[in-house]
Amino acid sequence: MPLIFTIAWRNIFRHRGKSLVIGVILFLGAFLMTVGSGIITGLDRGLKDNIVNSFTGDLLVISSKQINNAVLTPMSGAASEPINNFIQFRSVLKQHKMIDHYVPAAQGTPMVMSDEGDPDFNFIIGVDFKQYRTMFPDKFRVLEGRQPKDGERGLLLTEFNRRTNYEYLLNYWVIPEGAKLVTANLSKEALTAYTKGTLRVKEKMVFMGMNDKTSAMDIMPPVLGIIKFKALDTFIGISNLVDIETYRECFGYTTAAESHVTLNKEQASLLTNADLSDDDLFSNETMFGSAGSSASDYSIHSVKQETARTLVVTENHLDVDAGMYNMIFIKLKSGVPLLKAVNVLNQDLKPYGVRVITWRQALGEIAELATIIKASLFIFVMFIFFVAIIIIMNTLSMAALERVSEIGMMRAVGARKGFISKMFFSETAFLSFFFGGLGILVGLITITILSWIGLSTDNDMLQLLYGGARFHPFLTMGDIVACLIQLSIVTVISTLYPMRVARQITPLHAIAKD
Amino acid sequence: MAISTTPLIHLSSVTKEYPLGNTTVHALRGVDLTVSKGDFMSIVGPSGSGKTTLLNIIGCIDQATSGSVVIDGQEITTMNDKQITDLRLYKIGFIFQTFNLIPVLNVIENVEFPLLLMKTFSKTEVRSRAERLIEAVGLSEHSQHRPAELSGGQRQRVAIARALVTQPAIILADEPTANLDSETGNQILELMRDLNQKEHTTFIFSTHDHNVLAYAKKIVKIKDGLITE
Repeated sequence: MPLIFTIAWRNIFRHRGKSLVIGVILFLGAFLMTVGSGIITGLDRGLKDNIVNSFTGDLLVISSKQINNAVLTPMSGAASEPINNFIQFRSVLKQHKMIDHYVPAAQGTPMVMSDEGDPDFNFIIGVDFKQYRTMFPDKFRVLEGRQPKDGERGLLLTEFNRRTNYEYLLNYWVIPEGAKLVTANLSKEALTAYTKGTLRVKEKMVFMGMNDKTSAMDIMPPVLGIIKFKALDTFIGISNLVDIETYRECFGYTTAAESHVTLNKEQASLLTNADLSDDDLFSNETMFGSAGSSASDYSIHSVKQETARTLVVTENHLDVDAGMYNMIFIKLKSGVPLLKAVNVLNQDLKPYGVRVITWRQALGEIAELATIIKASLFIFVMFIFFVAIIIIMNTLSMAALERVSEIGMMRAVGARKGFISKMFFSETAFLSFFFGGLGILVGLITITILSWIGLSTDNDMLQLLYGGARFHPFLTMGDIVACLIQLSIVTVISTLYPMRVARQITPLHAIAKD
Repeated sequence: MAISTTPLIHLSSVTKEYPLGNTTVHALRGVDLTVSKGDFMSIVGPSGSGKTTLLNIIGCIDQATSGSVVIDGQEITTMNDKQITDLRLYKIGFIFQTFNLIPVLNVIENVEFPLLLMKTFSKTEVRSRAERLIEAVGLSEHSQHRPAELSGGQRQRVAIARALVTQPAIILADEPTANLDSETGNQILELMRDLNQKEHTTFIFSTHDHNVLAYAKKIVKIKDGLITE
């Protein structure tokens, strides 16, 4: 073994007490750093699995006119700007090499009306159920009722919304059409009412939606099923799923059915003539009748605007994408960098009046909260290391001053400053390698055990922290390498000052001490 | 073999001052000294006379405040730390008053230490040189012992072996017998004289001990920072 290593190794044992103190600090630092990394990676994976893979996808396409990016934060209450030309850029998404799946959707917050006409709000997402299931397979359970058939219209009411609607507004318990009441699923209050024989049960709910161009529209979609998201139900479960055509009807947007309108020349001319007033058009009273539209009471201005767009109807069936959406969920292919994809897609979709945002932007405060929790954890781990650096630095500096005779004598007989530096660094490096390595190993084992146990929680905040109902901390190879790098950085930083102290010791100091 | 009279060490008007509280201590007040190769010189003087300071300046352990210090033809007052360290390694051997061995190395490793710093000898050569000197100082049986397992005299002998192992031109010894009993002290002095006679190594040692003075070929007296004879 080279001379420096021999001296360093034996000095560790000679100064056992100090070595142990430094070793324990390094062990704890490395252990906490490893566990912290495992938790952070677990959070990321949990969020990815339970939000990205279950709810949002990696990216969302929204209208360029949309001001607030947080389109999936229902607390805002504001409807997102419509995208009426999805069909024009659908093929761009379909053929894009970065995209694995996509599903167009529309979110909104219609009022839920009680029998007495009292309003409250529910968040709904309008989708094509088949496409939605393909993009987010197996992410919710149907507690009652059934999955919608392909192309079927109706509502999948979340268990969360059913309960809160019952407790705070409706005063009746909603069950799927044709289904029987499942008493086991009743909330506490509903069960009490059921026991007393006062529980009112209905198979439909009234939603009232509106957009900025139309008046309120009442719809009463059939409830096909009661669903519960497998994770983060408190957050995701506020969103009922409804077929896209029902959504469009609810909010008074152009449905795909309405887009299938055959206009004669005169009618088309009337609709595209911007100089005509609503009175001019309504006085004629021919347009809607002869057009055969199933449109409800839309403003004529809106109808003109919507109908003037290029809409596509296939020969034998209606293309549901011909109507309005306000977001498109996109799942990227594995390994595609998120921000790179945002840039590329934004470039590709620029001509269509839409832009691409990340799922974090779309979730707004919810994602920010998760990021803040993660950042806090990271800062905590860094703080631990900062404290470790200070303690190790102090202990080593004291050790250097206690070894003035030894170091000064080495210098006297011809050891250069570099030799002293290397000797000091080697001692810390040995300790760091052994105790830090042990800390990483124990951290790795701890993470493996925690992941195997899989901590579960019903708590909303913990669910957000865990990224789901169960928490699986996880360490990647990259995390372990990062831990080793961080440990090396700590070793180097904590040795710099003591090394400087040791380098400044001269033979004269040794003689003076003696 | 004839001993060269070429000056190995030449000090001219060397002063050394250092602050002590609000005052300045004048440890050396203009010392002129010439030491030739093969000298066996003793520096004597009362406590505080400047013996150790003079020895430290000759050994490149301390720097003169003013004056010129030439060792083996090289002016050391203008050298940087690396050059001075190398000069100590290759030209000077030290025997300190308090032995100053590396506590974690055993006897043979302590003696090998300067040779390993030089990085010019093979492992076998380093080991054989160290063994030869350990045998010369009578510590062959203790070669695997750590300093803590040795007596004061044995440690001093290890220090001598270490000082000699690089075959330096100069060996400086500060009160080499101060912590030894008279019998061990005499053994050490005999050993140094032998080496001086056989290897023509230049020895300079500071002492109060009259017994040590009996061995010296040259005696330099110092008082209040000035050489008096």
